[in-house]
Amino acid sequence: MFRYLTLRLASMAVMAVLATLIVFLIATQVPADPVLAQLGDLQSADKELVAAYRRKWGLDLPIWQQYLLFLKGLSQGDLGQSISTHRPVLEDIRQYAPATIELATVSFLLAIAISIPLGVLAAVKRDTPVDHLARLVSLIGVSAPTFWLAFIMLAVFYGGLQVAPGPGRLDVTALPPPSWSGLLLVDSARAGQWDTFHDAAAHLVLPSIVLAASIVGLLTRTVRASMLEALAQDYVRVARAKGLRETAIVVRHALPNALVPVVTLGGIAYAILLTGAVMTETIFSWPGLGRYTFRSAIALDFPGIMGITLVVAVVYLVVNLLVDLSYALIDPRVVRR
Amino acid sequence: MSAGLAPSPAADAVAAGRARRGRWLRRYGLAATGGAIVLAWILVAIFATALAPWPYEQVDVTRRLLPPSAENWLGTDLLGRDVFSRLLVGARISLVAGIVVVVVGGLVGTLIGGIAAYAGGRAEEWMMRATDLVMCFPPIILAMAIAAALGIGVTNTILAMLVVWWPKFARLARSLVLVQRNQEYVEAAHVLGFGPARILFRHIVPNAVGPLVVLLTLDVGTAILTFAGLNFLGLGVIPPTPEWGQMVSEGRELVEQWWVATFPGIAILSVVIGFNFLGDGIRDWLDPKSRRR
Amino acid sequence: MMMEQILLSRRLMLAGAAATGALAASGGAAAQGRKSVLVIGMDISDGRNYDPGRMADYSPPLTNGNVYETLVTQSPGDYVNVKPMLATKWERVNGGKSWRFTLRQGVKFWDGSPFTADDVKFSLDRLVNLKDQPGVYASNLEAVQVVDASTVDLVMKDPNSPLLINCAAPAFAIYSRKLVSANGGVSDASANTADKATQYLNSSSAGTAAYRMVSWERNTAVTLVRNEHWWGGKAPFERVVIRHIADGAAQLLAVRRGDIDAAFNLTAEQLASLRGDANVRLESTVSLDYVYMTLTGNAEFNPALAKREARQAVAHAIDYDGIINGLVGGFAVRPPSFLPIGAAGTTEAFTKEFGYRQDLDKAKAFLQQAGLPNGFEFDLSITNAAIVGTNYQVIAQKVQSDLARVGIKANLKPLDPVNLRTQYNGGRTTSVITFWNPPSPETDLWASASIERVAKRVGWDVPQPMRDLVKAAAAEQDQARQIALYKQYQQQLVDNAHYLILLQPIYRIAVRNTLKNFNVTAAGWYVEMEQVEPA
Repeated sequence: MFRYLTLRLASMAVMAVLATLIVFLIATQVPADPVLAQLGDLQSADKELVAAYRRKWGLDLPIWQQYLLFLKGLSQGDLGQSISTHRPVLEDIRQYAPATIELATVSFLLAIAISIPLGVLAAVKRDTPVDHLARLVSLIGVSAPTFWLAFIMLAVFYGGLQVAPGPGRLDVTALPPPSWSGLLLVDSARAGQWDTFHDAAAHLVLPSIVLAASIVGLLTRTVRASMLEALAQDYVRVARAKGLRETAIVVRHALPNALVPVVTLGGIAYAILLTGAVMTETIFSWPGLGRYTFRSAIALDFPGIMGITLVVAVVYLVVNLLVDLSYALIDPRVVRR
Repeated sequence: MSAGLAPSPAADAVAAGRARRGRWLRRYGLAATGGAIVLAWILVAIFATALAPWPYEQVDVTRRLLPPSAENWLGTDLLGRDVFSRLLVGARISLVAGIVVVVVGGLVGTLIGGIAAYAGGRAEEWMMRATDLVMCFPPIILAMAIAAALGIGVTNTILAMLVVWWPKFARLARSLVLVQRNQEYVEAAHVLGFGPARILFRHIVPNAVGPLVVLLTLDVGTAILTFAGLNFLGLGVIPPTPEWGQMVSEGRELVEQWWVATFPGIAILSVVIGFNFLGDGIRDWLDPKSRRR
Repeated sequence: MMMEQILLSRRLMLAGAAATGALAASGGAAAQGRKSVLVIGMDISDGRNYDPGRMADYSPPLTNGNVYETLVTQSPGDYVNVKPMLATKWERVNGGKSWRFTLRQGVKFWDGSPFTADDVKFSLDRLVNLKDQPGVYASNLEAVQVVDASTVDLVMKDPNSPLLINCAAPAFAIYSRKLVSANGGVSDASANTADKATQYLNSSSAGTAAYRMVSWERNTAVTLVRNEHWWGGKAPFERVVIRHIADGAAQLLAVRRGDIDAAFNLTAEQLASLRGDANVRLESTVSLDYVYMTLTGNAEFNPALAKREARQAVAHAIDYDGIINGLVGGFAVRPPSFLPIGAAGTTEAFTKEFGYRQDLDKAKAFLQQAGLPNGFEFDLSITNAAIVGTNYQVIAQKVQSDLARVGIKANLKPLDPVNLRTQYNGGRTTSVITFWNPPSPETDLWASASIERVAKRVGWDVPQPMRDLVKAAAAEQDQARQIALYKQYQQQLVDNAHYLILLQPIYRIAVRNTLKNFNVTAAGWYVEMEQVEPA
């Protein structure tokens, strides 16, 4: 097991770096010149200035050398400087990550809070209207385009009914708490700024509903399916024969066993939320990694793009590793020879 | 006597028939609805230009942003074009893109995964690591990078999607084939001297096909969603070709003229629901465990 | 390297905490003293630098134009004349080779230290020697010479090339030599490697204006406070907060509710929805920017467009009024060619006199003359970006449908913004719809661009008489004669039909009626903040 783990970690590191290499190679095939995007019209005609900028960003070096520089910086924990924000990419990521982490976590908890009870209920009351309703809700949630759902939420609850706050993490007049973790809920609670806490929570409602909707379906179906399996097990039959109450059987015996595959799927879902919330973040003007990804991509900001690729790759690989490990623990058939 | 106490066999048969229909509806109602929706949209896509009341590219800025009316059932967009007509024509692109990505990606992925699983050992290991590598790619970045390198257009967007689409099929195929590979009948066939290709195609594949078909059907919805999303971000179709995601993007800021963004989104929603209901129903049909005892 | 970065970011975090701490302390006061705070809602996400020597984005000038002062300035709407600011008098000396500025007395920086000619020399030397983007606008500046504590000479490289109007631009901000050099600022020839003051200037200004910058929290807000030492008296507001709100709809709601006092990025539809609101009015000004379309003259790219008549056909087929009234709600004007309305006496009368207008018959006649009676095809490159509340793609589709009416087929080629600029700047596009945004209303900036670098991009071999005309116009010191020369220049541009100006936006800002004197300007700093006061 230990050897397997070390090998996997090593291969993970290699793959994360490979991912950046692939992105880098594609990016170099792009015929555009990112320096021009940073310069005004008159400035772009000034050859000296353009050359100075190119030198500054290392863009006058041959491709392989640029990548080696990136790798060298990477080994020292330096992801280079973003061409569009003029700041170290690591700092950009550090600034934008908390917003995404907060949103993803809240959305995930919301999704879990809905899907576990719903899935259990659907399994226990199988083939009844409750089950069909649960299936309907799951399927619809998964089918709605995120960017459209976000728009509808804003249009209805913010524009129309005016019960929800608008885009952004905080209201225009709110006082931001002193920055400690970057998670507004945590920081404002820590500082005792309950007004801000309330405001931050209110701003989280709509976007987290949108994000949760995208994974509730999957999670509910998984909970239902694994609950059904758990309920069909022999030990449940034994418990019933012994005369235990149905609720106790469901909650204390079947559910814990049913949750194992849910945990693995949940991990993947969480990873998806962390790395793929571009649409939601764009529409809700959420200053997170998704939006940073999009803007880096548009600006052909190589360092920014590679920094994000690295982060996403690492998140996915870690989650994959955990998932595979848990597979190996549950299902001996799938263990590699 | 007609008002008898004992029920007649004819009434029995009718009641039994009704119960059977009721059972069938409960079990496959959703799937049938899904199938109907999908079929309807396919027909719309085929006959779009005939069904559309207005030419989809006809610009008239004096008639822009009109609310739904008798003339324009779903209103007009910011160039005065009829939303309903554009919606119908947009079905073509979305459906074709979704189906192409899933079918091609599915085939490629299944082949890779199946062969990897059957081959086993080092080859399998490398193939699965390659799968991992592609799966950890941010698809948006890939799509934008490809668009920047090769140009914006539907073909390039589909290409970008294909690159990230095959891994999930590879993984599924691999796990299915793995399970099958270890079954006794495969060992028996092996002992009997059947070649690996024959075993693969005549025995393993038919057993693995079920879940693959389910994934394929369910996945068309996801592909359409992803394609619409990329169009929303500005990659994909070249104007004035309509596409639902791009239409939502045009109406994104227009909260007061909600019809511009709402109806294309509903179209996407309904198509994806259709495929999801359908796929779900197929899954239920194939899965013996979910059959009522 | 890593340690430094950790320390750096921790310092920034602490600085941020201190600033918000300061805000928190005054937060209580602000809650009841909302009237003493001016809150502006704007998308400031593009801002990368607030150092005047490096500033190169759209949103920082709003701040810098109001926390720094320049030698001269311009009144909103008058972009031909300059008026005094830090200088009270100016004249040409030294055989016309230098401008001598007499500096205003009694001016102090926000820290109380006096403003002298040394600060002018420091600031302008640093502008040139940093060799960063704004320095390009000082290309005609040879040297800055201190004559005495209140007199300074700006020596030009070419006395016939303009400089005076550029002196009003935010790039020519005058800041304190003491404050900036104390924070790593260097103004001599080694500045572009030795200067370290940018970080300081990105969080604190060093100017003489009515307000000063005290913090910049990226993607959150820029905060200004009153400069107690301002020579113009007491600024009406204690604090100004420029709040980052990326979303137009969010700005709309915020200005409706009074969370912000002014909203800068509303679309035409959003502005229209404010029509009945008794609390909000619209302040507007004709900008000096425009959206324009290029047509190549390079036969290798498109043999049809290489013919002048074919370009004229395109120019006469476009429904300009439809674009302006239909797509931007009527809030734009249209100049005849590359000089916007307001520059060098250009007016809409010129456009009526010799500019383009939609005339389908004329367009068809031009096609006949070009030997292309059945029309032709060409590629039109655009990017998917918002511009004055609409989108290039929307404008392009309208143009496409207009041209189709005379048989000209425009094929849209969407590109990402970077690719578009690369191709356009590299002269590889057949036709492009893009945006021109001048940093300063100096007429020669447009004129020389149109016959030099932009002409290269459209494959136009500019004839010598045209070049001479532009040079003569730039050197002409008599205003009336200069206007006549520039008019001639525009007529020739219209004739050649390489540049089709589609619209020159009228910028409208939603302002709550709790404010008065919200004077909007097109000269680069958007609004004269020191004049804004509570109603």
